[in-house]
Amino acid sequence: MPDVDVRLEGVTKRFGEVKAVDDLHLEIQQGEFFSLLGPSGCGKTTTLRMIGGFEEPSAGGISLGGGDVTNLPPYRRNVNTVFQSYALFPHLSIFENIAFGLRRKKVDRSEVQRRVKESLDLVDLPGFDTRKPTQLSGGQQQRVALARALVNRPRLLLLDEPLGALDLKLRKQMQLELKRIQQEVGITFLYVTHDQEEAMTMSNRLAVMRHGRIEQLDVPERMYESPATEFVAGFLGASNLLEGQILDRSSELANVGVAGGSTVRVPTARLDGQGPTVKVGVRPEKIKLEADEGDPPAGWNSVSGTLRVSTFVGVSHQYTVNGPADSTLTVYAQNLGAEPAPREGERVRLLWRPEHTFVVQPSAPLAEWEEEQ
Amino acid sequence: MAAGVQQLAKPKTRLGKRLAPYLLIMPGGLWLLVFFLIPIVFMLSVSLQTGNLEGGFAQTWHFHRYIEVFQQYRPQMVRSFAFGTIATAITLLFGYPLAYWIAFHGGRHKTTFLFLLLLPFFVSFVIRTLAWQFILADDGIVFGTLKSWHILPAVISGIAYNFLPFMALPLYVSLERIDRRVVEAASDLYANKKDVFLRVIFPLSIPGVFAGILLTFVPAVGDYVNASILGGTNTTMIGNIIQLEFLQNFHYPVAAALSFILMGILLIGIFIYARVLGASSIEEYV
Amino acid sequence: MSDYPDPRVPMDPALLRGLTQRRLSRRDALKYAGVGAGSLGLAAFLSACGVKGQAKASPTPSTFDFTKIYGDGTPAGVLNFANWEAYIDVDSKGNSPSLKEFTKETGIKVNYKTVINDNDPFLAKIIPVLQAGQDTGYDLIVITNGGGIERLIRLGYLTPLDHKYLPNWDANADPKTKNPVYDPGNKYTVTWQSGFTGIGYNSKVIKTPPTSFKDLLNPAYKGKVGMFSNNQDLPCPALASLGIDPNKATPDQWRQAAAPITQAKDAGIIRSFYDQSYINALENGDTVITQAWSGDVFIAAASKDFGGDGFPEMKFVFPQEGPIYWHDNMAIPLHAQHPVDAITYMNFVYQPNIAGMMADFIWYVTPVPAAKDYVLNTLKDPTVANSPLIFPSADDLAHAWQYKAFKNTQEEDDWNSVWQPVYSS
Repeated sequence: MPDVDVRLEGVTKRFGEVKAVDDLHLEIQQGEFFSLLGPSGCGKTTTLRMIGGFEEPSAGGISLGGGDVTNLPPYRRNVNTVFQSYALFPHLSIFENIAFGLRRKKVDRSEVQRRVKESLDLVDLPGFDTRKPTQLSGGQQQRVALARALVNRPRLLLLDEPLGALDLKLRKQMQLELKRIQQEVGITFLYVTHDQEEAMTMSNRLAVMRHGRIEQLDVPERMYESPATEFVAGFLGASNLLEGQILDRSSELANVGVAGGSTVRVPTARLDGQGPTVKVGVRPEKIKLEADEGDPPAGWNSVSGTLRVSTFVGVSHQYTVNGPADSTLTVYAQNLGAEPAPREGERVRLLWRPEHTFVVQPSAPLAEWEEEQ
Repeated sequence: MAAGVQQLAKPKTRLGKRLAPYLLIMPGGLWLLVFFLIPIVFMLSVSLQTGNLEGGFAQTWHFHRYIEVFQQYRPQMVRSFAFGTIATAITLLFGYPLAYWIAFHGGRHKTTFLFLLLLPFFVSFVIRTLAWQFILADDGIVFGTLKSWHILPAVISGIAYNFLPFMALPLYVSLERIDRRVVEAASDLYANKKDVFLRVIFPLSIPGVFAGILLTFVPAVGDYVNASILGGTNTTMIGNIIQLEFLQNFHYPVAAALSFILMGILLIGIFIYARVLGASSIEEYV
Repeated sequence: MSDYPDPRVPMDPALLRGLTQRRLSRRDALKYAGVGAGSLGLAAFLSACGVKGQAKASPTPSTFDFTKIYGDGTPAGVLNFANWEAYIDVDSKGNSPSLKEFTKETGIKVNYKTVINDNDPFLAKIIPVLQAGQDTGYDLIVITNGGGIERLIRLGYLTPLDHKYLPNWDANADPKTKNPVYDPGNKYTVTWQSGFTGIGYNSKVIKTPPTSFKDLLNPAYKGKVGMFSNNQDLPCPALASLGIDPNKATPDQWRQAAAPITQAKDAGIIRSFYDQSYINALENGDTVITQAWSGDVFIAAASKDFGGDGFPEMKFVFPQEGPIYWHDNMAIPLHAQHPVDAITYMNFVYQPNIAGMMADFIWYVTPVPAAKDYVLNTLKDPTVANSPLIFPSADDLAHAWQYKAFKNTQEEDDWNSVWQPVYSS
């Protein structure tokens, strides 16, 4: 069991009447790449700012490496932050930007020189030391911001949507870069984002937040495969949800009768504490689409419908199917080229393995103010 | 054919485009010409005339007048620059914390505080200064005692007071413009409050300091209302002398020459100041 | 005058005065308004600067045919009158009863404009116009002696007065104001109001009343002495205190008189050289003794319900060497459109009742001594009537000195070069 680096205990932050963060408990391990994911206003940035020392919790405690830092100012915490807008010092050269923290810590001159060069190399910007921030592109500024934080070798690096301002291609590239750097320096990263793909790509573990609380905390794969709530299921990728009644939970696979008369089998363990009405779901890429002819193959869950829309994406087809009881189901089919693609308007059958079926807690739909960008 | 038509059409639009900047600058340019350039040239000519009101003035190109009047009124000239410098320093000293406080701690009431800062400006300059006469009076309500300790020379204080908003407003704008995340970044990078101010906030506010000093110093040096209302003996400033020579003695050439000397010194000073501090500090952010 | 309604009958006189007589009036508005007038002067100056030299065609009364100006003496019916702020009687509605009476008697409509804040800025405004040979737009102006009026006379910019139209002046004018040094024979001017430059002091602080301008240099009052910052009210008392007539003094005597003032300044005895704000300095305690104008001290000392400032401790003394006696003068600018109307008005105000009506309001010295009887017996205002500051006795005037009248620009420049370094350094 690795050391716990960051511990939040019952942290609450109120802004007037609003609870931005509500009784949050969280532990982040040494050397971990941990992401806080959630829609706008979920409290992820506030949580990060409390760890950085820019906000003081209304209640609860924060400890770093075992020491309580709840009431310490930012400059007395061994934590550095990469801001969304980079927040480089416009009046200082790149060198001085990166050296800023070291100089405040009264690090030896030659050591400053050495470490700044080192971190410029680390972020792949050698020779940029005399330039001014305004002379750099967004991606380059991002790297400088990273170098400026990492050069101090903090115990914990906080990243507040650091890639938010970059275009898609650069973002993808920086994601990999960030991951590489994190592995190289071995510092704990706490990463805040609203981009689920980004979070899943980079994180060892991630937590999805909503309304100031953690909805689910897990490793990316498990979070994706079995989202605990309707909200998480929807926020992390696309999902097809069907409402149904538990008909039989006696064997290993339970039967759930969904609207429209079909029966869907679910691993019974996933129904613990649920019922009798449940919401079951399946990821679109788990579904096999075929013509609705004859009996469905044994051992598969099957639901029938009419193909409404077929979209060719290149690597795959995306199908929209009118399912039972006016439900709309999405299917991603890899473009294997083996079988002819079904046509719009045809009766189709959706097949998937019972173990790919997950069960979620119902959630309130996403409000408009929660939509990012 | 198509290419030919295009070639014919092109110069036409280009001409309009090329003219546009000049057309746009014309009203301003005309205004400057009529109300600034022509009077300036005219005053320059007056400064080199000789004569008096009754005998009339004649253009004699009396360049030596510039040396004469400068020598005659050197003490007032030097005093004006000294007063202007001290008053500007005082406004900076008072204006900076004021602007800082409004920008960083004004919260929702920023506009109210700015309004309060500007409130005295709704009253005429002269009336404001007259009010100071009352405040500074020996039996006055506030400063009577202070003045008797000779720590509050009235004219300088008056100038500093009157020009405070000229200093505080540009300072406020430059401080307000500073990205709060940059300030947070500094404190995140182990800078304590003193370092945050000295290494980040102050350097970033230098454009405001530059503008504030300029906006305060230039009118402060030329001011004469404060000296005439709040002054004692030996506090006459060059502005008072110009007024006296112009309106009382009708020595138009002398007044004009003094004005040009004042303007010349100010322009040279500003030029050097801008070269040393201004341009470099401002360029960095643009 | 029997059918003329007393302007203050409907109202308590004190209340009326409180409503209308503003202390921040004539003298207070002077130089600060002059500050603004500076730009005005500049504009006029610029507009006339193309005019080089000027016509020396100053009409002299002896050689001049008055009928060319005044015709047969029939007024045109309009008078454009430029005067100083609060320098005429005013009723509660802001109208002047004396002007109303003038219009009623003569049928001449008066455009009364208080456009004069200070002599020099006003001159700076009208001289370029006169230089260009044009009408200033005013038929009657009021200018102080000691610089302004002399300059206009020297420049030949005033219309000569035909004294056959001034019988009231001839009969009622104070002989002390007749035939002044700056306008021998009253060829161009008659006095509007006069005043004294004497000594004002705070009797709460100074128990022994001062007697001479020399008392202003007493080291006992160090830092509490006020003096004037102009080229008449400072130099003339300085010369008078040495027993020298300002109008007869030689340049050496000027310097001799200036020396002790400079010494007192350097020794810190003089607090400051003031413009009309000297009276505020006296009232608020910055000074305890000061060169002062009679009317201001009367207003300062008068109680508030009488329309004054309510500082009864403020006193005015006529120095034993004699006060400085100065005059604001009515004159008709050259090229004026309505000279007959102007001279008719000049004559009109020299009636004792009209002069009294105005004196009771203005509180400076009227040139019509007979007005005292009207103020005392008809208006029943003994405070004003018995004040030596408004109706000075023959004794008070016995040693009075006149402002320095400059013979030419050169003399004025020489005089200024001695005195200006004293008060503006």
